[in-house]
Amino acid sequence: MTHAQVIDKVLANIDKVMIGKRDIAELSLTALLAGGHVLLEDVPGVGKTMMVKALAKSIGASFKRIQFTPDLLPSDVLGVSIYNPREMQFEFRPGPIVGNIVLADEINRTSPKTQAALLESMEESSVTVDGETIRIPQPFFVMATQNPIEYEGTYPLPEAQLDRFLFKLKMGYPQRGEEIEVLSRAEKTVPIDHLETVLTIQELAELQLAVKEVNVDHTIKTYIVDCASETRNTPHVYLGVSPRGSLALMKSCQAYALIKGRTYVTPDDVKYLAPFVFGHRMILRSEAKYEGITSNEIVDRILTRVSVPIDRVGLK
Amino acid sequence: MKEVRTDMRFLILMYALAFILLWEWLLPVIELTDTEYITVFLFFIGISFIFGLLRMKWWLSIPLKLIYLFWSLHYVFFETVILSRETVSLLITDLLSNIGIIAAWNWDGITNPFRTVLFFVLLWMTIYLIRHWIEVRKSILLFYALTVIFIAILDTFSSYSAEGAIFRIMVSGLLLIGLLTISRISDKHGRKIGTGMFAAFSLPLLFAVVCSSAFASIMPDRGPAWDDPIPFLKSVVQGEGIGSGSFVAKSGYDTDDSKLGGAFSQDSTVVFSATVPKKQYWKIETKNTYTSKGWEQRSEEAIPVNIEPGSLLAFSGADNLLEEDKFLHAEINMKEQLPFLVYPYGTSKIHTRTDVVLQNQEDNGRFWVLKDGEEAELDSFGIDLIERNYSLKALRATSMDDYALESMDFSEYLQLPEQLPARVRELALTITGKEESVYEKAKSIERYFARNGFMYDQQNVAVPRGAEDYVDQFLFDTKRGYCDNFSTSMVVMLRASDIPARWVKGFAPGEGKTNSEGKMEYQVTNNEAHSWVEAYIPGFGWMPFEPTIGFSNMTGIEYDLELDMSDPEAPDMEEREKPETNKETPVKKDEDNGVLAFFNKMDKFLRENAWIGIAVLAVIVFIAWQVYKHRGKWIPKLLINAYRKRQADWVTYTKQYKGLLKQLDRFGFKRTDSMTLSEYAKTVDTHFGGRRMKMLTEAYERGLYGGYTRHDDWAGLQEIWEDLINRASC
Repeated sequence: MTHAQVIDKVLANIDKVMIGKRDIAELSLTALLAGGHVLLEDVPGVGKTMMVKALAKSIGASFKRIQFTPDLLPSDVLGVSIYNPREMQFEFRPGPIVGNIVLADEINRTSPKTQAALLESMEESSVTVDGETIRIPQPFFVMATQNPIEYEGTYPLPEAQLDRFLFKLKMGYPQRGEEIEVLSRAEKTVPIDHLETVLTIQELAELQLAVKEVNVDHTIKTYIVDCASETRNTPHVYLGVSPRGSLALMKSCQAYALIKGRTYVTPDDVKYLAPFVFGHRMILRSEAKYEGITSNEIVDRILTRVSVPIDRVGLK
Repeated sequence: MKEVRTDMRFLILMYALAFILLWEWLLPVIELTDTEYITVFLFFIGISFIFGLLRMKWWLSIPLKLIYLFWSLHYVFFETVILSRETVSLLITDLLSNIGIIAAWNWDGITNPFRTVLFFVLLWMTIYLIRHWIEVRKSILLFYALTVIFIAILDTFSSYSAEGAIFRIMVSGLLLIGLLTISRISDKHGRKIGTGMFAAFSLPLLFAVVCSSAFASIMPDRGPAWDDPIPFLKSVVQGEGIGSGSFVAKSGYDTDDSKLGGAFSQDSTVVFSATVPKKQYWKIETKNTYTSKGWEQRSEEAIPVNIEPGSLLAFSGADNLLEEDKFLHAEINMKEQLPFLVYPYGTSKIHTRTDVVLQNQEDNGRFWVLKDGEEAELDSFGIDLIERNYSLKALRATSMDDYALESMDFSEYLQLPEQLPARVRELALTITGKEESVYEKAKSIERYFARNGFMYDQQNVAVPRGAEDYVDQFLFDTKRGYCDNFSTSMVVMLRASDIPARWVKGFAPGEGKTNSEGKMEYQVTNNEAHSWVEAYIPGFGWMPFEPTIGFSNMTGIEYDLELDMSDPEAPDMEEREKPETNKETPVKKDEDNGVLAFFNKMDKFLRENAWIGIAVLAVIVFIAWQVYKHRGKWIPKLLINAYRKRQADWVTYTKQYKGLLKQLDRFGFKRTDSMTLSEYAKTVDTHFGGRRMKMLTEAYERGLYGGYTRHDDWAGLQEIWEDLINRASC
């Protein structure tokens, strides 16, 4: 079975429970394959949890969920060392973060200390408690959600920490027909319970390796860099995208190309992914915020200004 | 297009500079057309720019400008009371009458007020263009280049001197371009420029412009490499004339003859016209001292003699008049001023206006006029002359011994430089030795050149170097030259044969035409500048000789001898039979050979068939435009044929694909730079149906971004490509 066929099976599997959310499924899978994490920003009840569950079940990975609350402590996330009287020594009990696929729900509800603990372990793929470091088993994929409506009693994530996430996505409401379909499917049974595993963790690791083999032509690298540097020269942007942002865009493009069954990245991949990768990596000036311009709009504008390389002529 | 407003201070500066540039356009136009009132136009430019700066609405600015136009017309042309019914009616009648004149294509009949209106309109449009260039295009280079070209052309071809203008244009133009660049940079970044930033940008600019202009102006001026580009171009076409060492002089009268030789070029400016029944040689002066490089006048300055205009001149040999001598009258109109008067042989009276005094210097034959003690110029004057005829019999009776009878001191006319090579003297004696009479001796030298392989040439003429002698070089080495070579050589050889001789400068007769009054009028141009020889023949005085081949002798000889055909005098008669072919202007000589001949013929042809030329040109332009306009139709056919023959591989495919992109662009599918190829393919496929463009694009993208330059089915792609490009041919 080729990579493309394997991936199609996973996506088709997710489609069984998620209706009309093929793009989000693709993007989540892209992040998973690229080894990144996703921040979903949306109102409750649009299927965030279902998406993660479906993904976890499809690849036969362990699924953990952390519901963030203001009184949650870092140890509640990472785990604690407990004295075992029988063995006469401390024993580490891993927290919910140690899993393959973790849903971190409403992360802006918890204190910055706990947020930092989560983000650090995301970055390092490891947990450090009492001087002891434990590797989190691969694949490790965190899908964090935050609710953009209720700001009361929240601790918004600092901008600098947002770039721990590869993508920031919005789910959106389903369309009318899709919502009806959701209802009909759930009329008798719970679809998620019947979901089969279509991909082993071993196969997933192979796919992750294959992502690294996807060719990124020099023209594409130039295009990515041009886009990134344009964010730094745009009047509304206070702080543009860092080289880490360019790198993240390239890696996600590689993963996305694989999902699309290609072994090379095209400018279309870059254009498609740029808003999800760059959007949360820029800090806008306050004027932009007052004018109601969102970062995604700015990225769109930038993309209309940067010329797409269509040959090698004149390339530096 | 989104217009970004430029900073006001910037605009004011830029408009001021543009004003200076426009001023430079106006200056020569005003000067060359003898228009006064430059301030009227300058003020118009000024208010137009100020209105632009104030962002005045068109419904206000246009009426204001019209009012100003009206006022200026009144100020310049009408004496009436402004705003009176008279003024208005005068103006309206004038404008209306001009419409009729224009309808009749009578361009010369347009009245001055209307010309002024047209000029204002032209200025108005120019100002509008400049404002567009500055505020929208933010690029003034085109206007700047046009200004430089305009001024350079005027400086070269007209009397306008642009020495200061070109400097002012350079400084203001460079500053303007620099400021516009700064303004473009600020637009690109979408931010306004603060004072600090403005200083940071503009001070280096100012510094650079000031330094470079100052440097340029203090550097020594090399002087023009060529006086007039047209002869220069001609000499380049001929592939000579600007070689190392030689220099190209312009034909025409010049007082300095101390260094003769070198190529010279044509200049057909008319110097004067002469209405006279017969062709005349026009003498200006003589020179007596040969320096082995050229001629100088070395003698004690003779005191000029005052001559009353219209009084009879004493001229040598007047007592030898024959019955056949005729009295003629010449009217001379000067077109260009010369330092001395031109006069024909046999001049007996010179008629000028009465408020001047004529002066004559006997030793060099110069005439000039004084007015209130200062040298003055004459636009026209008349000359009474006696056309002399010499008796050949008497001439042939002259002997070298007769010089003893003359009272004149001939030493200055027998002068020769000490270093004159002996072979020149030897040659002179060989030529003249066979003859007995003074006249025949002189005649034999005059004839010598035509029969011994000498060539008339204006271009390949050597300049004597080091110790070389000008005459020696010509007689023995080069044998190529023009009048100066021939005449100088003859004078030197005459002197070497002990015949007193001097070198004469002036003009050849020129082109004759019957004028409106039925009289012969000769146009004498700079090309007719000439030099010849005067030899003193005992009993006859100074007699002109013409050694230059291609020119025929101007002396009237009374053939009072029975001549047989073996007589050396006979060929002269033959020559006189065909004066028109032999009387040459150098240009005609050149027509016989080379590239120049082609151009001359072409030029003549075009002149004669100007309308055909214009029509042919128009047809060519029209066809070219049609071909270009319909390129969308024939380029695909060409491409298809071309690519069928090529080997199908990645390189070919790349070219095919790009050709297709261009064709689609012509067809109307515009691809913006930020559009990816597959996005573009989608719009194309939506229009034509199917997914051809998508397939082609995928193959292209695979190769470009994926590096897969191999493909299983190039032929299949080729088919799709042909299909699509055919559909897209419009």
